[in-house]
Amino acid sequence: MGKYILKRLVYIVIVFFIVSLLMYALYNLIPGDPAMVEMEPLRKVLKPAEWQRQYLEKRAELGLDDPLIVRYARWMGLIPDVGGTLNGLLQGQFGDSTVYKRPVIDVIKAPMVNTILLNLFSTILTLAITIPLGIYCAVHRRKASDSAIQAVTVVGYSLPSYLVGIVFIYLFAVKLKIFPVGGAKTPGSTYTGFAEFADRMYYMALPILVLVFIGLAGMTRTVRAAMIDTLTQDYIRTARAKGLKEKVVIYSHAWRNALLPVSTSIMGWIISVFTGGSLVIETTFALNGTGRLYWQALNNTDYELVLAMQMFYTVVSLVGVLLTDLSYGLVDPRVRVNK
Amino acid sequence: MSKENKKAGSGEKKGTLGRWFSRLFFPNKEMDIYAEEALQSPARMVAKSFFSKPLAVISLVLLILIMLFVFIAPSFVVLDLGEQDSTLVNVSPGYSMMDYPDELEKEGIADISVGSNFSAGVDVNGNVYVWGKTKVSRVIDVADVPKEVQKAKITQIAAGFDHIVAVDDKGTVYCWGNARLGQTKLPQELSENNRFHNFKITKVFASHQFSAALTDDNRLLLWGNANFADIGMDKELYDGHVVDAALTDTAYVILTDEGAVVYSGDKATSLLSTGIPEGAKSGVVSIAATANSVAALKSDGTILTWGVTTRGEGSLPAFSAKPIKIEGGRYHYTVVMEDGNVASWGHNRYKQISVPGELTNDSVDVKNIYTGYYQNYAVDNNGEIHAWGLKGFLLGTDDLGRDIFARLVNGGKMTMTIGALSVVISTIIGILLGGIAGYFGGFLDMAIMRVAEVVSSMPFIPFAMILSAVLGSRVSVEQRMYIIMVILGLLSWPGLCRQVRAQMFAQREMEYVTAAKTIGVKENKIIFKHIIPNVMSVVLVSITLSFGTSMLTESTLSYLGFGIPAPTPTWGNMLSNANNSVIIQNFWWNWVFVGLIFGLSCVCINLIGDGLRDALDPKSNER
Repeated sequence: MGKYILKRLVYIVIVFFIVSLLMYALYNLIPGDPAMVEMEPLRKVLKPAEWQRQYLEKRAELGLDDPLIVRYARWMGLIPDVGGTLNGLLQGQFGDSTVYKRPVIDVIKAPMVNTILLNLFSTILTLAITIPLGIYCAVHRRKASDSAIQAVTVVGYSLPSYLVGIVFIYLFAVKLKIFPVGGAKTPGSTYTGFAEFADRMYYMALPILVLVFIGLAGMTRTVRAAMIDTLTQDYIRTARAKGLKEKVVIYSHAWRNALLPVSTSIMGWIISVFTGGSLVIETTFALNGTGRLYWQALNNTDYELVLAMQMFYTVVSLVGVLLTDLSYGLVDPRVRVNK
Repeated sequence: MSKENKKAGSGEKKGTLGRWFSRLFFPNKEMDIYAEEALQSPARMVAKSFFSKPLAVISLVLLILIMLFVFIAPSFVVLDLGEQDSTLVNVSPGYSMMDYPDELEKEGIADISVGSNFSAGVDVNGNVYVWGKTKVSRVIDVADVPKEVQKAKITQIAAGFDHIVAVDDKGTVYCWGNARLGQTKLPQELSENNRFHNFKITKVFASHQFSAALTDDNRLLLWGNANFADIGMDKELYDGHVVDAALTDTAYVILTDEGAVVYSGDKATSLLSTGIPEGAKSGVVSIAATANSVAALKSDGTILTWGVTTRGEGSLPAFSAKPIKIEGGRYHYTVVMEDGNVASWGHNRYKQISVPGELTNDSVDVKNIYTGYYQNYAVDNNGEIHAWGLKGFLLGTDDLGRDIFARLVNGGKMTMTIGALSVVISTIIGILLGGIAGYFGGFLDMAIMRVAEVVSSMPFIPFAMILSAVLGSRVSVEQRMYIIMVILGLLSWPGLCRQVRAQMFAQREMEYVTAAKTIGVKENKIIFKHIIPNVMSVVLVSITLSFGTSMLTESTLSYLGFGIPAPTPTWGNMLSNANNSVIIQNFWWNWVFVGLIFGLSCVCINLIGDGLRDALDPKSNER
């Protein structure tokens, strides 16, 4: 097991470097000259020849004339930069956001809290609803209630999330006026402590609702299918033949085994939620989360920020894939990975 | 699939691909039940099973209908990308713009005036009627005629962009509608505490943000938004000499008692002022204006136009007789001639110059015409109304005045094309790489699967956004469309690749492959003629489902602003346009129709995919 994890970790590191090199190369396709940006204000102050000299100096100082791979290695922190210090991604230097004029790490902090809260609550709620619902559907297979839930879930997982968002805004914010239309907190409010948290949750309620609705649809179908599969197993027939009550069969024998494949798809789903799932919802609801930050950064061509966040997304999804694979083995001894 | 291969085959005329599909769904020849049972291919069983599911079949029919609709309709509903008009903004759906009330026709028409999306009329008893899209804003409805107007005996009415001006038999002027820009704020001379003025109002005018009234002592009184419109006037010079006026969107011209057209506003540099032809400086009997041009009708029947005449306002048709009255719409003119016929010219985007046949062939004698914006009403000698022009919009217009129906069908074509082509790309890559990996195994398999893992481990939406932002920033819309297709295709093949590979692994070990090898069938023939047809069913499901996903992804990208940029419509950027609480709340037609057809397509695709999957997997039939 340990060897397998190690192998996978090495693999993750390699993939991370490949992806980051690709991304870095991609960004270097964008025309733009940081040295020129810094030197432009001095153009009128200095004599042309002097300016040209300083400009070239600046280029050398920023290392802009070196080959791509060298610049990449510097940016990553694999080799020392022009000044002679290791100062890259691996040392925790994510660079400065060109729009916010602050280190990327600082810019990401506040939205990250929002995104984590959003996804945490929606995940908990979704699981709390979807597992009982899926089991119920499987047990009452092909009855009216099951068919109705199936119909709703097909709609739920077919529709694009922003469409669900717009419909929910119309229903709950515009017509029923229960929730605010968008935003992260009451404008101008100075709540502290619990009041602040409550206010934040009030603004987050509708996005959470939408995420739960979308997640519910897919997850319920997974749980239902897994449960139906389990109910056809021999040991269930044995349990029934022993004369166990149907309740005991379902809630003691069947559902735990049914959740095995479900748990892995839950992992995959959580990762997708973290890396892009809530991006659309955050944009729709103007909720200040990482997804929206990423969207804004791309719109503002704040590429330092975009690059850092892209790296974050890549790491999250790579680690996520590993965790998913490992969780197969953890929850089901039959498929314990040992390669 | 080389040519030799085809020749080596047993002489069929169809290509290999054609044979796969024909074998997939149709039996080759009639056979008895035992032979059929023994020979029925898995694919035909799948088809049979699929078509026994009503829900899946209904979805398939619906999806085909939607696809036919979005691919055929655009050839009839042509989209003009540059089209937008501030007077047609957020028009609600429906064809009610020319539904004039029957009572008006019955009672006898005294006056009709056409406003932006509504029209107002007065009957001979002085009653006011307003019809069309009368809600000019969230709260203001010009059909709410004020009480005092209902009581008064109105003789003349003028409808503007979002307000109405009326005058009664006592010469009192009334205004209602949008008052925000002062277009209803009467000047001192006409205001209520000055009711008993010693002059009469002979004519009222209303335009975009300003209004005017002509008095019987030949003075023109103007009021409204002076910042937007040039409503200044040298009173000493013109008071007592004005006999008529014509209001464009942002200016006006007057007709003096000497028969000359004069631009009496402050901005003498405007084209309407500098462009006045010599001929219009005397002998003019009637003037009319469009949004940005003026036409003068002279006593000898000649018509002169000047100003901005880019939409054909200046290209006069041949008249069958001498024109006697001219009226102007937003981009067109209409005249009535001595022989009672009518002619129109100018812009015809909304059929506003498509005069009904009976008004041009002497069968009906037209007594009077009323034209404005996009509609024309002609009244004949029997008092009957003949209307032509813009009826309305089937699905309304958006916040730039663009026809949502036209955008819906053209956007659907775009969305579906991108979805389909990106699926083609990803399917080709998926089958090719999956087939290679699965059949040859070993190092190739390892390498391909690692690449697939890298691609699939990258977060899809953020990555697609970046690629679109970086690659698509300086290219035309069409190139960008292809870039998006390629991006979607390049990012979504790993799923299919894995499935094909797994199938290949399974099929490779099957006895029929061993048998084929034993009798010496060539390797490429084994792959393409024996194995691939058996893998096709998996591919089919994958194509269906990934068509849905690609459409979704494209629309999500467009929604986020990283897909096809506006003005080119796609369902995604149309919905993105609607993501605004004001639009969601007040202009529901902006998102409901797009949402419905898009949602329906997505649900259909998923139901078809589910149906296919169930049909392919006999085990799942029990579910």
